[in-house]
Amino acid sequence: MNGADDNKVIVQVDKTVVKITGVDVKGLNIQELESLLKDKLKSMVRIIGVTGSSLEMDVYGIEEEDVLKEENGIIKAVALADGITLTDLAQISSVNKIKTVDINDVPSYSEGQCMKERWL
Amino acid sequence: MFTKAMIIPTGDELAAGIVLDTDAPEIMKNLLAINGSAEVVRIAPVIDKEEAIVSKIKESAANGYDLIVLIGGSGGGHRFSTTLGKDYTHSSLDMILSDKQEGALYGKNGHMWSKLVIGKLGDTLVFNVPGPYEEATATIKAFKDSYKKDSHNLEEINKSMLEALKAKYGA
Repeated sequence: MNGADDNKVIVQVDKTVVKITGVDVKGLNIQELESLLKDKLKSMVRIIGVTGSSLEMDVYGIEEEDVLKEENGIIKAVALADGITLTDLAQISSVNKIKTVDINDVPSYSEGQCMKERWL
Repeated sequence: MFTKAMIIPTGDELAAGIVLDTDAPEIMKNLLAINGSAEVVRIAPVIDKEEAIVSKIKESAANGYDLIVLIGGSGGGHRFSTTLGKDYTHSSLDMILSDKQEGALYGKNGHMWSKLVIGKLGDTLVFNVPGPYEEATATIKAFKDSYKKDSHNLEEINKSMLEALKAKYGA
């Protein structure tokens, strides 16, 4: 990790964004789900988005193909969390490893904007 | 030293009961560790809209709360995924706070993971912590330690919170 300046810090870690659909979610304890997934994947997991029918998470240090190989195990681990009910359509619907951008070659942007928007 | 603190969780998923709020008890515990005689209140979650968040902050300050902590909505991911939480807490604080200090963490893909803002609204100190439990816990502990050292040094408080957040990612 290194900092661009004092109050803008770039975190140099690899992560893969995984989305699971086909679940019913109500009253989920995110800590419990993260713990179940961490035990399964032996890596840090952060739940970053939850709706009534989907889960989105960052998985650190695991490649896309390895996530897909573990699809059944991941779905089973998810099903153990209180507040989640699987439907027949439960699946990993997307797996995307983040792409590195050159932070030194970035157009200027307005305050509060996400830096990524500068490449869009 | 604050005497009346308001904890404001934000998020449509909290307001709808889809996920449980496990952050607020941790925030309350740390605020009471600073001042055990303070009145600390947690209100119902506020939806992810700037006007709703700003309105609740102003209402709380007008009602005499001299410390306001907002939970969640500190990132930038909703611009890229419609199912991610809307991140309007930091932008709400940007609009209304004075004597503001801020720091942001970015991924190497350029996405803003989290922006921490602290500042004043009149005599009320207002700041945010990220929504994920581990990050919320780390940043409120850093706030507690730094605030106890010098409650007026907002730059140092913000820096210590950002350092604590960085450390959650292996720094």
